[in-house]
Amino acid sequence: MDIEEKEIAFLTVPFGPQHPASGHFHALLKVDGETVLELEPHPGYLHRGFEKLMEYRIHPQNCVLVDRADVLDPFSCELGYANAVEKIAGLEIPGRGRYIRTIMAELGRILSHITWIGVLSMVLGFDSANKIAWGDREKILRLNEIATGGRLYPCYLCVGGVRRDISQEFVDETSKALDYLEGQLSFYDYFVFKNETFVMRMEKVGRMSAEEAIDLGATGPNLRACGIDYDVRKDEPYEAYSKVKFNVVTRGEGDAYARSLCRRYEIAESISIVRQLLKNLPDGPYRMELSPVWAAPEGESYFCLESARGEKCFHVVSDGSPCPYRVKIRAPSFLHTLVEFPYLAKESTIADIPAIYWSLDSCPADMDR
Amino acid sequence: MISDIESRLKSKFPDSLLNVVSKDKRITFSVKKEESYPILSELKDIGFNHLSDVTAVDYIDEQEFELTYHLWSHQEKIRAIVKVRIPRESPTVKSVVGLWTGAQIHEREDHELFGINFEGNPNLLPLFLEDWEEIPPFRKDFDTRKYVKEKYYLEEEGYPVVKG
Repeated sequence: MDIEEKEIAFLTVPFGPQHPASGHFHALLKVDGETVLELEPHPGYLHRGFEKLMEYRIHPQNCVLVDRADVLDPFSCELGYANAVEKIAGLEIPGRGRYIRTIMAELGRILSHITWIGVLSMVLGFDSANKIAWGDREKILRLNEIATGGRLYPCYLCVGGVRRDISQEFVDETSKALDYLEGQLSFYDYFVFKNETFVMRMEKVGRMSAEEAIDLGATGPNLRACGIDYDVRKDEPYEAYSKVKFNVVTRGEGDAYARSLCRRYEIAESISIVRQLLKNLPDGPYRMELSPVWAAPEGESYFCLESARGEKCFHVVSDGSPCPYRVKIRAPSFLHTLVEFPYLAKESTIADIPAIYWSLDSCPADMDR
Repeated sequence: MISDIESRLKSKFPDSLLNVVSKDKRITFSVKKEESYPILSELKDIGFNHLSDVTAVDYIDEQEFELTYHLWSHQEKIRAIVKVRIPRESPTVKSVVGLWTGAQIHEREDHELFGINFEGNPNLLPLFLEDWEEIPPFRKDFDTRKYVKEKYYLEEEGYPVVKG
């Protein structure tokens, strides 16, 4: 076959950018029949330039703004930003504030993982599981509303603690919701994770070895599915994570199915963490009183946390004014979508592309920032 | 472990390390631009196999960019931070794609938003911005508010109207 004929044989097929399936992310697939030869990612549909916008705003405003940087797990962004600023100033947050933050961070992880079960099922053509998962998601959104007043974007955290205390109603409702979700997990096992079609679609799809995953910059469940036990909550404990017992979930296979199971078992670990925290919730103040135009001293910090999607880091530079001099968010989806996804898509089939994409659990808002 | 790394690098690069700070399982190096690649390569050999991020900060008063490489070792569970200052006038530095494949995308982002050139990076095409003709937008001398006002608003009858 000469070159001209070869060029005709390849077809370029777009993937995205619309809901469902890809979200606000577009990729061009170069295909030969069913086989994907190359995937070229085109991000930028949700680029709002938060890092630059934050340079114009004071810290309390930024805690609200940064929520939007990750739609499915907003609390991790607030937590990262506030901690990075507190680290520069060397603030000691009251114990109750730390516990409440940790509870909210874990509820955020459960929320993100349950949403992910739904979307992954939907792109595999399994709509019933999607509807059930989105129904269960409401339980956590309801808790968000009781504690913070906001459902999707809590805007709950401020530098120095949390905006308001949690009530007894929240504690009771959380216990109820956790009992319910724990029951639902065994249902998901039977309905989704052990479903023959689901297993067939996910097993041996999008496989990477531990060395490849590290080289590509993978973190979170995607890395732990390859057998590396990197979890910032364990390795560099922040907030109240040093006070609770939990296991880091790892698998060895490194395929889409292993990544799915990692997330499924992480929900169970998160439920256990929240229960332990609620049991030992200390009394006392939940935040420090700081003036709205409080300025962090000159300095910089790099704070890492384990978000639902993986390692999320905030590099904040302060020049002593009430606004930060520079904020950089290390977003896990940035690596998942733009580095791992094109790598795994090579030599796979068109039908596997949505499965690989969602097994990596990317959030376009988190990727573009 | 951290003191071993510190002494190993100090003996190997006696003139290039400007400052070394080690605190709570973290070690921070400030290094000269010329030797940044060999130092990063040495750290990779020591076991810092995960490149977490490459951050650029624009210190306009000093006419310099500061690049910060955040490294993590999965074996030793420690973090290493390498800071490199490069002149703002000719911001060029050697790419570390050969050491960590994931670096490609971090460098591409810094190239787009700060205009830093990474020699040896195979793909530095824009990620987010379309048909951008201004200076790189994350530099400190780019005023976002002024740009938005001039580009998207019309001053009519005393209040701003969005151009349609």
